[in-house]
Amino acid sequence: MVMGGTQLSLRDNLSLELRRGALVLAVLTELRHEEYGYSLKKLLADKGLEIDEGTLYPLLRRLEAQGLLKSDWRVEDGRPRRYYRASAPGEKLAKELAAEWQKLAGVIGALIE
Amino acid sequence: MELVDRYVHEVGQYLPARLRADVEAELRSLLTESVEERARAAGLPADAQLTADVVREFGVPRDVASRYAPEPQYLIGPRLYPAYRVAVKIMIPVLAAVVLVLMVIGQFRHPGEPPSMAPFIRATGSFFSGVLFNLGVMTFVFALVERAMQTREAAGTVWDPATLPPVNDPDRISYFGRIFVLYLIAALALLFNFFPEWVAVVVFNNADSRVYPLLEPAFSRYLPLLNAWWALAFALNLVVLRQGRWRRTSRWADFGLEVSNGVILLVIIAGPPVFHYDMWVKLVLQVFLVVSVIKACAMLYRLLVRKAAEPWARS
Repeated sequence: MVMGGTQLSLRDNLSLELRRGALVLAVLTELRHEEYGYSLKKLLADKGLEIDEGTLYPLLRRLEAQGLLKSDWRVEDGRPRRYYRASAPGEKLAKELAAEWQKLAGVIGALIE
Repeated sequence: MELVDRYVHEVGQYLPARLRADVEAELRSLLTESVEERARAAGLPADAQLTADVVREFGVPRDVASRYAPEPQYLIGPRLYPAYRVAVKIMIPVLAAVVLVLMVIGQFRHPGEPPSMAPFIRATGSFFSGVLFNLGVMTFVFALVERAMQTREAAGTVWDPATLPPVNDPDRISYFGRIFVLYLIAALALLFNFFPEWVAVVVFNNADSRVYPLLEPAFSRYLPLLNAWWALAFALNLVVLRQGRWRRTSRWADFGLEVSNGVILLVIIAGPPVFHYDMWVKLVLQVFLVVSVIKACAMLYRLLVRKAAEPWARS
């Protein structure tokens, strides 16, 4: 059982590592259009990428601090919401990361086959 | 939604003040929305149970806050912490041994006296105040070194393989050694400035033993000079630690400090009496002066004889 637990934890960690870089690409790509935190989470989930809120929202703040996103507060339906959108450097980076991703996916795909 | 307020407040407690209000406002908005959306989707009321589920999924407040924090908030980070632990582990038994030896010597000096707890209580008090003092100084020094190292890494210069030092590098520093020197300087400065009565000598005679403070009030005239020297020595050691090795400029600065150390000793020795047992203390200072002169000569010889700076020794 202990061994099984260790293996599961290791797999979880490696899987998390694998997803980490992909999340940045996914977020930057989706934020070519303006979204707020919750709507972005739903949008990504609808497309098959589940991200827990405790990971997604801090990620948005970090990307903003790095100048890749910009944000502003707005009141909609009587509720204050913070809307995010990719900045010009964010969009440029998203394109570069997407190209890198395609290349990597091709190589890994070939290796796996 | 009282639970959301409590949760948001708790996360905020672990955040830097400049981020707190903004992150709290966003978290409150997001959590409230999550709860309401989930209630709508499930056709249930947004009650305490549902709120608790959402908050639980969001995560432990401390973990969530750590994901928001821009950089790790260490006083002493994981790189220096092992050395800090070693330093504390050395300091405590050494201090205990010193206090124990002094207590035993004191007991031997009074063989006829009835057994008493008083010396033990005094020694225990001295031990704990000594541990607190040294722990404070060590923590201060390590925290300072942590910040100095972070600044060096943040500089982000491009690494050049030519700067790799040779295997037998005379300029390689011992990080632990440099930190120990910083600790000594800080401890000395604090001792002489704030606890001068602790700089004392125990005098035994047949009937009694007494503790005499070594420093007379007139000694305070040298404090500004000594403080300036300690500040410069501290700064130099911090710079050397930050650079990771001795360089020619820091070697020259070290030589300058050694010369000024000799001059300060000379000034104190030639000056009016400022110590209890002035003659004896100055005799010891004369020995220090001789050592300082020899050290300065060796440093100068090394600086003049050594070849022009190698690529790894560039300043």
